[in-house]
Amino acid sequence: MNKNGLLLCLLLLTGFISQEKKYIKVYLIGDSTMCPYEPKQFPIHGWGMPFANFFDHSVTIDNRARGGRSTRTFIGEGRWQLIADSLKEGDYVFIQFGHNDEAKEEKYKERYTSVPDYTTNLIKFVSESRAKKAIPVIVTPVTRMSFDAAGKIKETHVEYTTACYKVASEYKVPLIDLDKKSRDLLQKYGSDNARLLFMQLEPDEHPNYPAGLKDNTHFNEYGARRIAELVLQGLRELNLDLVKRIVIPPSKLQK
Amino acid sequence: MNLNRASLLTILICLTMAFIIPPNKITIYLVGDSTTSNKEVKAFPETGWGMPFTYFFDSTIVVDNRAKNGRSTKSFIEEGLWKPVLEKLKDGDYVFIQFGHNDEGKTKVGRYTTPEEFRSNLIKYVIETRSKKALPILITPVARRMFDSNGLIKESHPIYSDVVKEVAKQLHVPLIDLDEKSKELLQKFGPENSKWLFNYVEAGEHPNYPEGHKDDTHFNELGARRMAEIVLEQVKELHLGIAEHIRPPYPTKK
Repeated sequence: MNKNGLLLCLLLLTGFISQEKKYIKVYLIGDSTMCPYEPKQFPIHGWGMPFANFFDHSVTIDNRARGGRSTRTFIGEGRWQLIADSLKEGDYVFIQFGHNDEAKEEKYKERYTSVPDYTTNLIKFVSESRAKKAIPVIVTPVTRMSFDAAGKIKETHVEYTTACYKVASEYKVPLIDLDKKSRDLLQKYGSDNARLLFMQLEPDEHPNYPAGLKDNTHFNEYGARRIAELVLQGLRELNLDLVKRIVIPPSKLQK
Repeated sequence: MNLNRASLLTILICLTMAFIIPPNKITIYLVGDSTTSNKEVKAFPETGWGMPFTYFFDSTIVVDNRAKNGRSTKSFIEEGLWKPVLEKLKDGDYVFIQFGHNDEGKTKVGRYTTPEEFRSNLIKYVIETRSKKALPILITPVARRMFDSNGLIKESHPIYSDVVKEVAKQLHVPLIDLDEKSKELLQKFGPENSKWLFNYVEAGEHPNYPEGHKDDTHFNELGARRMAEIVLEQVKELHLGIAEHIRPPYPTKK
């Protein structure tokens, strides 16, 4: 009798536990447009920083993106291997590279990655994630702020975004076209106001950059959040399971 | 011999103390309302200007943001939020005082403070701060996003900002006219673009506000930082001692 009761209790308990969401990790791998920053560098923000606040307690965002990294150097420095080793079933890997892969100038030759190599590296991230039953998501590189004379936003990552599409379609990988989405967003702000999203500071405005700054690549706290919102929108369009873990405001939960 | 030993001991004690006793850090207390306060993640992207302000100083300064949503000069005292600040205040600390938004709201019982009560409460904050040899700084209430039909920014705190200025003059308290400076900034942005400084969110954009949000009082990250930058600029202009402890520049790559 007692033993049966105990067994019943255990069964019931197990039922509750399995209803509780499994804890998962979302790894972000990429470059300076995504990575975390310290207060001494503020107001610069990578979009991974606000993105981390968009999910419920069952999700841990592990932002492993690092400034200046291309797919090649991210792998070369052993950063990818660490993640591949710790990936668990049901985890996600958001992959956003391109800015440094495409840097052709001599001073950046350490990071430069040709389009074929970039493609190979993306495939490596995808297949090694899948080998651990994790879910890879390819994110096309977020745009730079570059407008033509007529005030139309220019496409800044053509070949590398195309490569993302090729890998995504060939390997059936969910893709978020952040390049396109961010160009549309910048176009909405227009060539003057889009600067509000970037690390554009007047001299003596912010103590960390007394000389001021005109940076058309890196986002401030506001821009990073706007970009993170685009990634979230892309995620919803893909309707991945992760969508069920987007935070719900307390007012909505009670209904 | 004995003397030598004694002096050695003294030196040793001094050395130990130097390491054990932390250097006397200056604390800047922020007292005020929701336009200054720290926000919970569930309220993001709403941001109080005290949040970015915290990062503007070097390691000798601690910014302790005690501002709380919905508080007036009166309810901040009545709810016992001022007392613990007063008790911790020490020689050389600062108290930045910014109220008005909730004092002036006549409909909210418990917060509403008449201009006369507002004046005497401000005087209380100033005098009690000074009794602990700390330095009070009075700040006029930051502007709301209110424009007239010609696109000119409207006065959002007509009586209460004047009271702050009068108390500052009367008691010789350093004054930061954030109301005036924030109006200038909002005017520069104009009626439409100034929304980018406030907690304006379209439906479906941010998970915390699924149906969207329009708020002409509370800032987003950008607005909060721009307001904090105004306060910092005024700290420099007033030549406050803490202006010497603004964070050193971040070394940028060539």
